[in-house]
Order: sequence, then structure tokens, then C-alpha cells
Amino acid sequence: MEKDNCWQCGHRSAASLFCRFCNALQPPVMDYYAFLGMPRRLKIEPGELEATFYRMSRLLHPDRYLRRTPRERQYSLEATAILNDAYRVLRDPVKRAEYVLRQEGFNIGEQRGNDVPPELLEEVFELNESLEELRGGDQSARPQLEQARQRFLGMQREADQELDRLFADYDARGDRQTLASIRALLNRRRYISNLAGEVEKELL
Amino acid sequence: MAYSDKVLDHYNNPRNVGSLDKSDPNVGTGMVGAPECGDVMKLQLKVNPATGIIEDAKFKTFGCGSAIASSSLATEWIKGRTVDEALQIKNTDIVNELSLPPVKIHCSVLAEDAIKAAIADYKKKQPAAEPQPVAQEA
Repeated sequence: MEKDNCWQCGHRSAASLFCRFCNALQPPVMDYYAFLGMPRRLKIEPGELEATFYRMSRLLHPDRYLRRTPRERQYSLEATAILNDAYRVLRDPVKRAEYVLRQEGFNIGEQRGNDVPPELLEEVFELNESLEELRGGDQSARPQLEQARQRFLGMQREADQELDRLFADYDARGDRQTLASIRALLNRRRYISNLAGEVEKELL
Repeated sequence: MAYSDKVLDHYNNPRNVGSLDKSDPNVGTGMVGAPECGDVMKLQLKVNPATGIIEDAKFKTFGCGSAIASSSLATEWIKGRTVDEALQIKNTDIVNELSLPPVKIHCSVLAEDAIKAAIADYKKKQPAAEPQPVAQEA
């Protein structure tokens, strides 16, 4: 039997979420975009994603399948789990970009030090050092810490805007070059948000 | 997650924290980072040009306890070794010595990369002195 045929009635290419001939719930596809029936874009309208999530949550809720076949009960559990994962990942721009990067064969979790441009490491190192100097200080360092915080938050906003631009570029061109730029920017952003987090702790 | 006693010891009393003169031709500087966790590590070593022995090593790491301990241990180990011996140090040696758990293995990788980067920087600074003997087919 073809992969896309309905498991229950065997109709050809019948399956999306439900068979369009016998209405049986089909085994869920693993790809988040395909599962949600959304185009593979990096820029996503949050409202649209949310609406899709709630609509599908209702359709797939395991309670609705209590009196259906055991196979459909199992699929509804699997599909609900994938739906929750897909929503959690795709609603967050950073996780969404990492998901697409991984699918396109970029390493995310196992980058070695030499994947990071030296200028960025120098910059992060210096920022850390200046933060460390302030950290040991007394109350008088507070205004400077506050300044550092504003600076890091500003850098984070810039990174987010740049990310948004790169998302649009990728959606328009679908090229690896843009994906590589996105990965580099995500690295930078992670360093910056770590620094911002460190300053926050000092200011508490 | 609990740190091993050795990690805690290096974390609380890091060895060789500091920096060496970057412009010294006998000093190699390695700067590496792990973007997943936001760590950044600088390791420097000073080589005696006559003997090829690493006479001094310093580090500065911004990161978790395991990253600090790994780089601290790395500086301890490379001191007194030749450059070539230092290149033999593997991240797994650091993992074993510090009993690092699997989720912290990347910290030891970072330390190994830092040693290699520092040595590469040192070698780059050396004038291409005597021409290397070229291996000849017999």
C-alpha cells in the first residue's frame, strides 16, 4: 500500500489529517509545518498560528476519540503531542529558526568554538570583563550597571530586528547563505541575552 | 546537578587566572566560545623558544563551573610540557580527571579547543625559521 493511502479505507492520497473518503484520523506527519498545514516560512503571524493551534487542539483532542477505533485513539494521542511541540517551537522565533536550521542540516547543539567568529568572541569577552569590574563594586556601580543593562537590551532589540529582516530574506529566497547568517545571528543573540541576564541578577 | 569535588576545587580556587602579554611573540592566545551556553574562554601560554616548553599559562573563562574547571585544569596540565605534548591533551582526559557528566562534556571540548587555538596562534607568530625537512620517498 502506498504511504499516503488511508490506513482504513485504502483510498489513494486521501490522507491529510483525516481521510477525505472515510474520515478516519490518519497517522500524524512529523514535520511541524506540514502537520499544521502551514507554508514553511520563517516569518509567522502569531495570531494565525494560535488560531490553527486551538482549532487543531479541538479536532485532535483524545476525548473525541474514546469511541473510535484503537488505532485512531493512538493517533490522536500522538497527534496531540506533536501539536503541542509544534506550537511551542514555532511560536518562538528563535526556536522556530533553530528548527528550520536543523532540518536544513545545520548543527545547532554541537558547534565548536571555531564556528564562532573571533570578533564576536572578543566583543563578548570584553563585555563580560567590563561587567565583572562593575560586579565587584558597591552601590556606586549601580548607575553603570543600569547603563550596561540598557545597552544589552538595546543590542538584543537590534538582533531581533535583524533576525526579522533575515527571516523575510529567507522566505523570499530560500537560500543557505541567509540560513548561515541566521545561525550566526542566533549565536550572537544568545551571548547578548546571557549578558543581559547576568546584569539583571546584579541589579536585583 | 552536583559538581564533583575536583570541579568545585578548581571553581573555588581556579589556578592561573589572568592574562599574558598578547603582543609578546612567545605568547599564544586562544579565544573560543560555546554559543549554546554563552561561554567564552581565553587561554594563553608562553613558550620558551629555546626549549619549546610552555613556561607559563593563564586563562580567563566566563561560563559555568565546569567550563572554569576545565580551563583551569588545562593551564595546570600544559605548564612544563612541550608544545607538541600539550597538543596531545584530549578533552576525554579532562572529562575523566574532573568526572564531568555527559551534559558538561562540551566544556572539556572547549578547553581542548582553547589549547589548540593558543598553540596555533603561537606557531603563527613564529618566523618560519629553519626550512622544515621535507619527507623524501626512499
